[in-house]
Amino acid sequence: MDIKKTALAGTLESSDIQITLSKGDNGVNIDLDSSVEELYGDQIRKVITDTLAAYGIKNANVKAVDKGALDCVVKARTMAAAQRALETTDQPDWEVF
Amino acid sequence: MEIREINIHIKRNFNKWQKFLKKTGITTFSPKETDQVERTFVWEDDGEIMATGSIAGNVLKYIAVCSKVKGHGETFNQLVSKLVNEAATMGRFHLFVFTKPQYVQSFGYVGFHVLAQVEDGAILEAGTPDVHDYIKNLPHFADQDNSRVAGVVMNANPFTNGHRYLVEQASRENDHVYVFVVSQEASLFTFAERFKLVKEGCRDLANVTVVPGDSYMVSYTTFPAYFLKDNQDVAHFQAALDAQLFKQQVAGPLNITRRYVGSEPFSKTTDIYNQELTRVLPPDVEVKIIERASNANDDVISATKVRAAIANDELAVVQKYVPQSTLSFVQNNWSDLRARIKEGSLE
Repeated sequence: MDIKKTALAGTLESSDIQITLSKGDNGVNIDLDSSVEELYGDQIRKVITDTLAAYGIKNANVKAVDKGALDCVVKARTMAAAQRALETTDQPDWEVF
Repeated sequence: MEIREINIHIKRNFNKWQKFLKKTGITTFSPKETDQVERTFVWEDDGEIMATGSIAGNVLKYIAVCSKVKGHGETFNQLVSKLVNEAATMGRFHLFVFTKPQYVQSFGYVGFHVLAQVEDGAILEAGTPDVHDYIKNLPHFADQDNSRVAGVVMNANPFTNGHRYLVEQASRENDHVYVFVVSQEASLFTFAERFKLVKEGCRDLANVTVVPGDSYMVSYTTFPAYFLKDNQDVAHFQAALDAQLFKQQVAGPLNITRRYVGSEPFSKTTDIYNQELTRVLPPDVEVKIIERASNANDDVISATKVRAAIANDELAVVQKYVPQSTLSFVQNNWSDLRARIKEGSLE
């Protein structure tokens, strides 16, 4: 699936994560800002990558500003951003759950 | 606290908003700063403003949180979050902030990265595409790191023999030359027109690459400076910030070690700019100030004179200052250009 437009989901408040998805042409590149990068950086990246993969998104630039979000929040925000970026908000992909 | 959107272009709202900001130490509310504000949000407690932030184009400005607010940092994050989300719904994903040095860290926590910082303030960006994307997408050359690369930044409104003279000098003295054309639309000639005329005017110079300046080489006099105190020097601040931005984000990654500028006998603003470039860029980037090209009888070539000639309906005068490519364009669009001058205050 190709990203049709840049999309953003999430906030910068604590326990949340803000995900911005835009077109890419070289795999999934994640630019992560997180105060817990050292401890959880890899895990956050994995959740984002897996969620995008479930949507069939192979190329994307991801900006993520993490404020200590739990995995389920990371997943939810990534899904919201993906649906917006793919312009499929009216046909949610239930499989991804 | 409740979030509410207000229109500050309504006097009553403006007064209340301004009163709050003044308490937080922001004192500049000139139309130049406030005119571009499109949307303003306030956080209120019992009708009293406790925090605010605004969107103006792709700039977030007039951001302040009352020191009395409990959980100051949380409110700040909430505020920036709200602005970033609202900007996204407007289709704006690439945002800038201009702020005092002491707030750089707070913006850092919410995903903003410093592009340049000087004594009085800093410029930060967030979102996508960012400066790394910009640099990556510019043309690069073989063995660029071991070549002598120069940069020229111009608005070229329109491209004259003077611009050509400057680029020729740079072209002769370097392996590669990047000519950055200011992308901002605030000129008589549109960006597309200015860009096309620079390209055409430099076509025969094989080592010259003409590229858009994008968001990174804007008309620096439009840098927000509302957070400066009345006694701080806005012109020097803006020029220094622009110079630092060029040095850190553009010259460094592209291995530009020389920047060429025209000498400035007339305009005080440009003179301050050249001063700041000379102060900030060396030793990494050498500043070459080239004496302005003139015609016979010390008739200095300038785009200002070209625009004045268009306004005065004097094609023969235009001809004295511009290359054939620019002349043809001006000739073919004579009535349209004159109409633009009449319509607006375009310079």
